[in-house]
Amino acid sequence: MEDLGVIHQLIVPLFGYEMTFNLEVIAWTWIVIIGLLIFGYLAKRNRSIVPGNLQNLGELFINQFYELTEDALDRRLARKYAPLICALFMFLLFCNFLGVFPHLGEPTSDLNTTLSMGIMGFVIAHYVGIREKGIKAYIKGYFEPIFFMMPLNVIGELSKVISISFRLFGNIMGGDIIVLVVSYLTFSLILPPFLIGFFFIFIGAIQAFVFTMLTLVYIAVQVK
Amino acid sequence: MGLGAIGAALGEGYTAGLANEGLALRPKKSGDILKNMLVGQAVAESAAIFALVIAVLLLFLGTETPYLLKASAVLAAGLSMGFGAFGSGVGAGFPAGQASLGISRQPAMSGSLSTNMLIGSAVCQTPAILAMVVALLLIFSDFSSMPLFPTWAALLGAGLSTGLAAIGSGVGGGLAAGASCEGIARQPLSLGNVTTTMLVGQAVSQTPAIFGLLISFILLFSGFPESTALSAAMAPLGAGLCMGFGGIGPGIGNGLTAEEAVRWVARNLENTGGLTRTMLVGQAVAQSTAIYAMVVSLVLIFVI
Amino acid sequence: MPIEGAEIVKAASLLGAGLAMGLGAIGPGIGEGLVGAKACEAIGRNPGEAGLLTRTMLVGQAVSESTGIYSLVVALLLLFVV
Repeated sequence: MEDLGVIHQLIVPLFGYEMTFNLEVIAWTWIVIIGLLIFGYLAKRNRSIVPGNLQNLGELFINQFYELTEDALDRRLARKYAPLICALFMFLLFCNFLGVFPHLGEPTSDLNTTLSMGIMGFVIAHYVGIREKGIKAYIKGYFEPIFFMMPLNVIGELSKVISISFRLFGNIMGGDIIVLVVSYLTFSLILPPFLIGFFFIFIGAIQAFVFTMLTLVYIAVQVK
Repeated sequence: MGLGAIGAALGEGYTAGLANEGLALRPKKSGDILKNMLVGQAVAESAAIFALVIAVLLLFLGTETPYLLKASAVLAAGLSMGFGAFGSGVGAGFPAGQASLGISRQPAMSGSLSTNMLIGSAVCQTPAILAMVVALLLIFSDFSSMPLFPTWAALLGAGLSTGLAAIGSGVGGGLAAGASCEGIARQPLSLGNVTTTMLVGQAVSQTPAIFGLLISFILLFSGFPESTALSAAMAPLGAGLCMGFGGIGPGIGNGLTAEEAVRWVARNLENTGGLTRTMLVGQAVAQSTAIYAMVVSLVLIFVI
Repeated sequence: MPIEGAEIVKAASLLGAGLAMGLGAIGPGIGEGLVGAKACEAIGRNPGEAGLLTRTMLVGQAVSESTGIYSLVVALLLLFVV
């Protein structure tokens, strides 16, 4: 139960003047990045018409997310932004699955990871919006329906970053805590494997997908 | 206990009502329907039984240590379990009722309908189980080393946060499970797709309850510095109430979305992928108010 | 311990912030859920228009969320300004 003390650190970096580096999370993130690079290299190495196992898996990800992006944006934009969306999903999925391994945890259970991903999506969405619509139409969007709605529209945009990143963080962190506490209450007898399967694999996959879809939707809303 | 009993009674009443409707439609299958109704009601009642367990524990343990802090922990445990059982009790009634009705329409499917009902209502119970975990921790943890003054409010807030948030998730999960039983009865071929969509929808509907649990644990274990100021007590209490009430609406809303998505997956099987995707996006947006509530709670706990 | 007037105001604003956001989240939560439910129904009936329907759903949800955002603004004002 002492592991619950980790929670105290969460809010510290938000103040700005006290930089806190959580070395554990950084190490986990690097494990995910290196794992993804190795996966990409292996999947691409023996490319053939009849795909092998890894190539199949890679093509599955790319196909699915290319089609999703094309549905939400159009063909021209999809060619440009589908790799980003696909990479985002794979990164988050690997992050959420990392907690399955003993002595490792999910980088996404740290607010810093999810918040930086959320801010990245926010910046990209607005960059794409300005590029596609032009700066005038973009700014005009904030003064709809009436001009004095501007502050509320700005808050509405900013709250998207908060909601997307806290959703992923809250789900993964909540799952961690439930697994820890229920294991503690049942003396780690029977339940933990099922709980880990449910929270880390099932919820992790759903939340990674939701995060990716929302980033895509935010881009689509800016473009249209 | 009282609240848990009300919820379970509502759920069982709904089940019995639909079972009677089913019996009227098809008197010959009365044995099957009755059996199913009883199983469904037993599951709906388990929420009330959780509440009873906690109530009995409170009766026997609460009297030993007559301290104010213990009293607030015990009160919080009762509130957490009562509210949590209320939601799950009502929620588990939906699949049981729809399954009973479905068996009368489609007697050949009684086996898979019962299985689906059990899976669906088991997931509905999750918020009640989360509430029970918090209640058990409140009863059995030793808070005597903590300062009385802000801690009593933190304990009360912890109970309310999970308990209230569990209402929404319990009812929401039940709505999705009810629609899945209805859909399988209409279109037996859709069994696999409907169950999968139901589980995904329910899992997302549980999010507010998980947020409630997160806030409860932070309130329980973060340890507030001693202070007799009124505002030091109101901050954790406000945080608990904020997350608790904030979880109700999004939980029910997510359940509504999942319900309709599951219903249309059953009618329109080819479109499962598109419907699941829309459901997830719709639910995710509907959750954002629960997330704002969580942010306000975190600010109340850590920043103020 | 004597309770000062300012102390009561501070305590009430903290509790009020929690209640404002908590109760304010109920309505938008259910409302946005209804919007999502109807969008799923419509896509079930007419899968060809999925893209348009999803966009309409998002706009409708964004509008019904605005009351939730007002609650958030009020709660933050109570926390940091009062």
